[in-house]
Amino acid sequence: MFMGRVVGTVWSTVKWEKLEGLKFLVVRPYHLADLAPGMVAKPHPFTMYDGVVAGDVLGAGVGEDVIVAYGHSARVAVEPDLPDGQLPSRPIDAAVVAIVDHYHVEDAAKDNA
Amino acid sequence: MMLARVIGEVWATRKSPRMEGRKLLLVAALRKGQDAAMEPTGQVVVAIDTIGARIGHTVAVAWGSGARAVLAPPDNRSVLADAAVARIVDAVTLGNDDQPEYLE
Repeated sequence: MFMGRVVGTVWSTVKWEKLEGLKFLVVRPYHLADLAPGMVAKPHPFTMYDGVVAGDVLGAGVGEDVIVAYGHSARVAVEPDLPDGQLPSRPIDAAVVAIVDHYHVEDAAKDNA
Repeated sequence: MMLARVIGEVWATRKSPRMEGRKLLLVAALRKGQDAAMEPTGQVVVAIDTIGARIGHTVAVAWGSGARAVLAPPDNRSVLADAAVARIVDAVTLGNDDQPEYLE
């Protein structure tokens, strides 16, 4: 998983039918330079290359900090009603699994409420 | 698995029900730097912790189904976890036993 800031939304009209109704966000992962500038030599510039497209069933919005999971965990996250033992089937590999209230990083003296 | 240093914690109330009760740590990935020291790569990962790792600890983080194996018995396909702290690391050496290189 990683923590990132929601920076945008992805719209698409042509998609696999099991993706109907699923919202997709662009999430920019936090780099160590963003969280603890004292631990890295130089800042990390933002490029769109950094953006990760993640499915969202929690209702996160642009500007919020979220936690994104990859792989099987992402597919489990977008099917909350999936019975135990049954495999998820939506073709995604990244999903928002939590919306961050608060994080605390030591050494950087940065406490984000 | 990945070597990393614990740098912080995250709290979230709006989350997937399968994330309930999980303690989430922010960990910075490490690589070998110069002068036998480990340095951060810049990548920051959110890992689930069940063994009590604290800020400043060096840890080994398991990914994917390895992370689910840290958290639950073999039938764990409904567990939501793609990174989990598997162990707290005391020491790392590189090279063979004759000429070990100790990393700090």
